[in-house]
Amino acid sequence: MLEFRHVHKTYATPQGPLRVLCGVDLQLRAGESLALMGESGSGKSTLLHLAAGLDLPDRGEVSLGGQSLAGLDEAGRARLRRGALGLVFQQFHLIASLNVADNLRLQARLAGREQPDWSAHLITRLGLAGRERHYPEQLSGGQQQRLAIGRALAPRPALLLADEPTGNLDEATADTVLELLLELVAESGSSLLMVTHSPKVAAPLDRRLMLRHGQLLAESAGSDHQDSRRPCA
Amino acid sequence: MRLMGVALATLLSHYRRHPGQLAMLLMGLWVAGALWSGVQAINASARDNYARAEALLGDDYARLEREDGQPLTRDDFIRLRQAGILVSPLIEGELTTDDGMQLTLIGIDPLTLSGDTTLTRSGAPGALQHFLSSPWQTRLAPDTRARLGSQPTVHGGTALPPMIEVPALPPDTLVMDIAIAARLLGTGDAITALLGNRTALTAAPDGFVLTPADARASPRELTQSFHLNLTAMALLALVVGLFIVQAALGLALEQRLSLLRTLRALGVSGRTLVALLVVELAILGLAGALAGLLSGVWLAQTLLPDVAATLQNLYGATVSGTLSLPWHYWLGGVAVSLGGLVIAGSGVLWRASRLSLLGLGQAQAWRRGYQRQLRVQTLLGAVAALAALALGLTPDTGLIAGFGLVAAILLAAALWQPPLLAWLLAMALRVLEGASRPTRRLALTQWALADLQLQLPRLSLAMMALLIALAANLGVSSMVGGFRLTFLDWLDQRLIADIYLNPPAAQFDDINRWLAQHPAVHERLTTANADSELLEIGAPNARPRRPGLPLPVFGITPGETLMVDWPLLATLGDRDAAWQTLQQGGVFINEQLARGHHITPGDRVTLTTPGGRQSFSVAGIYPDYGNPRGELVMTTAQVRRLFRVPPRSMGIVIQPGEDPGQLRQQLMTRFALAPHHLRDQRQLKATATAIFERTFTITRALNGLTLAVAALALLATLLAQAEERRRRLATLWALGVPRHRLLTTQLVQLAGAALVTGLLAVPLGIAITACLVWGINVAAFGWRLPLHVFPAEISLTLLTAVLVALLAAGLPLLKLWRTPPRALLAEEEAG
Amino acid sequence: MSLRSHPVSAGLTLLCALLLAACDPAPQTDRYGDGGPDAGRAGFAGLGAANDGYAHARPGTRLNFPGDHGPHPGFRIEWWYLTANLEDASGEPLGMQWTLFRQAQQPDTDTAPDPRAQPWATDQLWMAHMALSRGASHRVAERFARGTSRPRPQTARQAGVTAQPFRAWLDNWQLESLATDPTIDALSHLRLNARAEDAKGPFGYRLDLRAEGPLVRHGLEGFSQKSADGQGSMYYSQPFYRVHGEILLDGAQHTVTGRAWLDREWSSQLLSPTQTGWDWFSLHLNSGARVMAFRLRGGGDNNGDYYSGSWITPEGKVTPLKADTLKLEPLARAEVAGQTLPVRWRMTLPQQDLTLDIAARHPNRWMRTSVPYWEGAVTVKDATTGAPRGQGYLEMTGY
Repeated sequence: MLEFRHVHKTYATPQGPLRVLCGVDLQLRAGESLALMGESGSGKSTLLHLAAGLDLPDRGEVSLGGQSLAGLDEAGRARLRRGALGLVFQQFHLIASLNVADNLRLQARLAGREQPDWSAHLITRLGLAGRERHYPEQLSGGQQQRLAIGRALAPRPALLLADEPTGNLDEATADTVLELLLELVAESGSSLLMVTHSPKVAAPLDRRLMLRHGQLLAESAGSDHQDSRRPCA
Repeated sequence: MRLMGVALATLLSHYRRHPGQLAMLLMGLWVAGALWSGVQAINASARDNYARAEALLGDDYARLEREDGQPLTRDDFIRLRQAGILVSPLIEGELTTDDGMQLTLIGIDPLTLSGDTTLTRSGAPGALQHFLSSPWQTRLAPDTRARLGSQPTVHGGTALPPMIEVPALPPDTLVMDIAIAARLLGTGDAITALLGNRTALTAAPDGFVLTPADARASPRELTQSFHLNLTAMALLALVVGLFIVQAALGLALEQRLSLLRTLRALGVSGRTLVALLVVELAILGLAGALAGLLSGVWLAQTLLPDVAATLQNLYGATVSGTLSLPWHYWLGGVAVSLGGLVIAGSGVLWRASRLSLLGLGQAQAWRRGYQRQLRVQTLLGAVAALAALALGLTPDTGLIAGFGLVAAILLAAALWQPPLLAWLLAMALRVLEGASRPTRRLALTQWALADLQLQLPRLSLAMMALLIALAANLGVSSMVGGFRLTFLDWLDQRLIADIYLNPPAAQFDDINRWLAQHPAVHERLTTANADSELLEIGAPNARPRRPGLPLPVFGITPGETLMVDWPLLATLGDRDAAWQTLQQGGVFINEQLARGHHITPGDRVTLTTPGGRQSFSVAGIYPDYGNPRGELVMTTAQVRRLFRVPPRSMGIVIQPGEDPGQLRQQLMTRFALAPHHLRDQRQLKATATAIFERTFTITRALNGLTLAVAALALLATLLAQAEERRRRLATLWALGVPRHRLLTTQLVQLAGAALVTGLLAVPLGIAITACLVWGINVAAFGWRLPLHVFPAEISLTLLTAVLVALLAAGLPLLKLWRTPPRALLAEEEAG
Repeated sequence: MSLRSHPVSAGLTLLCALLLAACDPAPQTDRYGDGGPDAGRAGFAGLGAANDGYAHARPGTRLNFPGDHGPHPGFRIEWWYLTANLEDASGEPLGMQWTLFRQAQQPDTDTAPDPRAQPWATDQLWMAHMALSRGASHRVAERFARGTSRPRPQTARQAGVTAQPFRAWLDNWQLESLATDPTIDALSHLRLNARAEDAKGPFGYRLDLRAEGPLVRHGLEGFSQKSADGQGSMYYSQPFYRVHGEILLDGAQHTVTGRAWLDREWSSQLLSPTQTGWDWFSLHLNSGARVMAFRLRGGGDNNGDYYSGSWITPEGKVTPLKADTLKLEPLARAEVAGQTLPVRWRMTLPQQDLTLDIAARHPNRWMRTSVPYWEGAVTVKDATTGAPRGQGYLEMTGY
């Protein structure tokens, strides 16, 4: 489904080059869910951006469904994004000028794959029924994130990429939203790659990987392993 | 395609939530387009009308009149024809329909009228038989016909002959066979003029005076000046409108940055996004341009009667009061609006295309960005200023360079204005920081300045628009005002006599003798004129030039009254010396001749006279506004002696306290003079004044509109950031600043910025005026207007600037005043 | 286009068309302008149009002189038509033409506008043509004027004709009688003055014409039938002029001598509806005899061509010529101004035992007037021997 092979990524900053990923290898099978954990600045978001084709690796290869992203042009990657991927952000990124119903259906429409039954089902399951005509800023944080999840799942993407989906929510809300997310991913038949710093959030997922200093560690090696080396040294 | 549709709908959904931004965008396009196309419509329509008027009687025919001033009759016509001189009779008169419509009726004899001209064009094949005999025909332009209605009658029920449309005829002009025209006008045997072929009739037969085809006064020069000024104003209006569009587009983009990024994350490619923005621009542009065009035509229709009346009074050129516009006008209007939109929108598109994908959720580092923008603007402003300097220092540049200079000055000023404001704010803040003990008031001032600094990026475009509008306003009204002042002044100086007498040649000496004895007459200033050729120009230390130019020569009588007031631009020595030289056989030349052939006082000019070549010293140069050609003046006595011509007219200066009306009456009774032999100066001046009042009306209307556009830009900008500002103010309110003080601070902030803008607009306006009167007018017409600065206009400009700012601030502030303080805080919490 | 014709041409088409079978083979529009239902198909250019109200040329009408030298405003059309075969001092042949045409605007001269009340009103239109040619050079001028059938006496007019004293003029073009003896015919001694100027410069003539024979009445005592169904014109000529005078052409003044021919004709309906134009000859034979002959194309018996003419003895005795005593056939054609015209003819006069070859001196005699036609000098030779027999003028219209 999703495969990273020896992926390197370095950013230029005013303080000199910042190596973010150092030879990351990763495989995600269809229908599998994977939690990507790590501290702030460990390169989780960069990995997610590379998976979404929002950015390209310096070295190594990222492929989605057997298709190398580097082999696609900008338009091709955009096509892949709207056709095969769903994205859920920590900041929701809902379209302020569209109402709930239109926001939910937006990506499905962009992909040309709108399924009215599925959309209606999602609205109900997300607890947004009756609020279709509301605008995003009229929703609570939890509702906004549920709407963002619905938008990402509306076209039944092969892979859902979620970046700290509960990071902006209080604990109770976060639990509900997470539960809903996992259920709906299962219903949709999508794979899931979720970035989170919380072991509790990562727990229900099939697999867990830890990113530290630009390298992936085994999931069990998690929290107790301390490594003082600089990334990619 | 579906992708495009969904993405476009999503992009446009922004305007559904922010209709104010859409309105502002459309308004900018609409107003800019309306002003531009309105003025262009007036110009196009008026130009078409002159073209038609000139085609009728302009350059096609030479005219004969009787030397003795008596009206021409049919016998004159036949006598000349029998002598083999091919003239054709023309009668012309005013005809009022029973509905009260004033028409010019021209009667022609198509059997003797030569040439393929508008007058001879029949409008229908084989129509001459019908034209020549009962029930005859009325040739008229379609617009005239439309206004006449279907059954026009004259003289209480007499129907006009059947109407035939000839589009080339001027408005309100009827052309008929001379037989029916004479009957309708009751002119009997009398003829208004005898026309001859311009190439065949070149010499006047005995007893007649010839006016060659191209020598007759043409309205072209002054009307072109008028149109040029209108066009310049329209262009400025367009620029101001485009500033609004640019501001609105920039705002709309900035507010949609996160939307654009999200769309890209959802799989819309960057190229598609730019394409979508182009489509959005095109939709808005078309809507705005069409609305602008339609209201431009409406505007033109509202102003046109004034323009028409002005031009009719000025030049006797009939301008139709209704618009008729060719298709290319419409197309051109849309093209200009869209073109402007593309220029205004290109920056937005450029930014959209470079949108960083990974900027998701990142805040804009606006401050650093704005500092960079200010530096770029300062640099570009310097480039524009250098260009202006280069253009200004280049001597003898043409019309395009003149307009380029105005554009460069405006651009430089507009670009420099935001950096200047920013610099002033920074300076003020630094001064405050240096102050010893921060008081509460000082703290608030500091906040106000810092807050204004924060607003500047968004305010600056609106302020630039205001600057340009103010400067243009000041520039154009100064120019028109100066034009009026100069022209009336000149008219005053040229028309120093109280009565102008143009008697039949045979009576001239009798009248002259009688006037010499008349106690009420102070001075008699006789004139004469002759045609000559300028053979050679000789300047000291230069090779003589031989232009071989036909040159009309006029004789003036340098009486005491005349010498005091006659305007001179340049003289050799002082004024008295110049007049002395003239009396001793020297000449004055007009500004057009001096500029056209680089003649300065002290040069010598050689002319042809019936007695052979004669050389004269140029003693002075006089202004001669509105005259397209070169002219030369010497004493009447010298003209009469050298060119062997009779005196032509006489200006009578009355003794102080005497009544010119009485003398006029005496002259008419004693010498059986017709009213047209005598002209009253007061009447002439009244007409001229009326003309300029009308010109002022139009200028004021256009000026007002330009300012309104600028105010709108400011208002739109303030409204757009009102919500954000309310939140900022709420914090201050929570900190304990009373609400009224917050409002006052706001007003002072804006009024201050506007005042600085206004102060900047003053020198800019004067610079534009100078460019218009010294550069563009000279390049276009060959004469230079003096520069007049009107302090009242300047004060008004400053006041307007502040008023516009306060007006624009009013609505957002009113909203703020009405919002309960708690709500302000709630908004702050929600944010 | 001639120097002043263009703007007026549209309207004066009719005037010209009445006189000359014009360029169009058939009328397309109601050129006559009275809008009658028949106007569109009333013969060539409206020549056969309904003519109610106008006076008619009829057999048995008596000619009266000098009155008939003047205008006949009750008839629709009329002309004073002068052509001359001239030669200069070096013997170089020249041709000249001067014609004054009149056309009535309305039939009833009693209801014509009173010129005292309406000085410019017109019920008569005047048109004049002048031409002067030598070799390839052919100069033409045309002028127009408005007139009235009720002229005020002692009042100047731009154009007109008076019978006593005889004078026909338009502007400064003038044909006037120098005959002072009231017992001799006014036309027996004439002076012609005309001068025009165009882009090529001035040209003109001042000619003195003396008749060496009497006036000649054509047809039936002056009634000249023009078609088989009977319509015609009043037609007489003075074919016996000797001419001397001065001409100005192409910048040079020449003293000239020669022979001239004056035609006078008036009518209200010249052609029948089917006639399309004519070929008209006026010949001065070396024998002293004169020949007038014409062919009207169409309008003869069985819609053939209509032939007519006059054999005039040196003493002025007239023998009318008809289809059986006059034969005219084109021999050669030439391209002139875009038209194909017969420029060589054979005229057979069996009664006179003459077969004549008539040839244009130069094909370029196209009159670029408002309605164009061909008018030029011809030479006359014996068809069998080729011996010179005389000279004359040919007019061809309707091609």
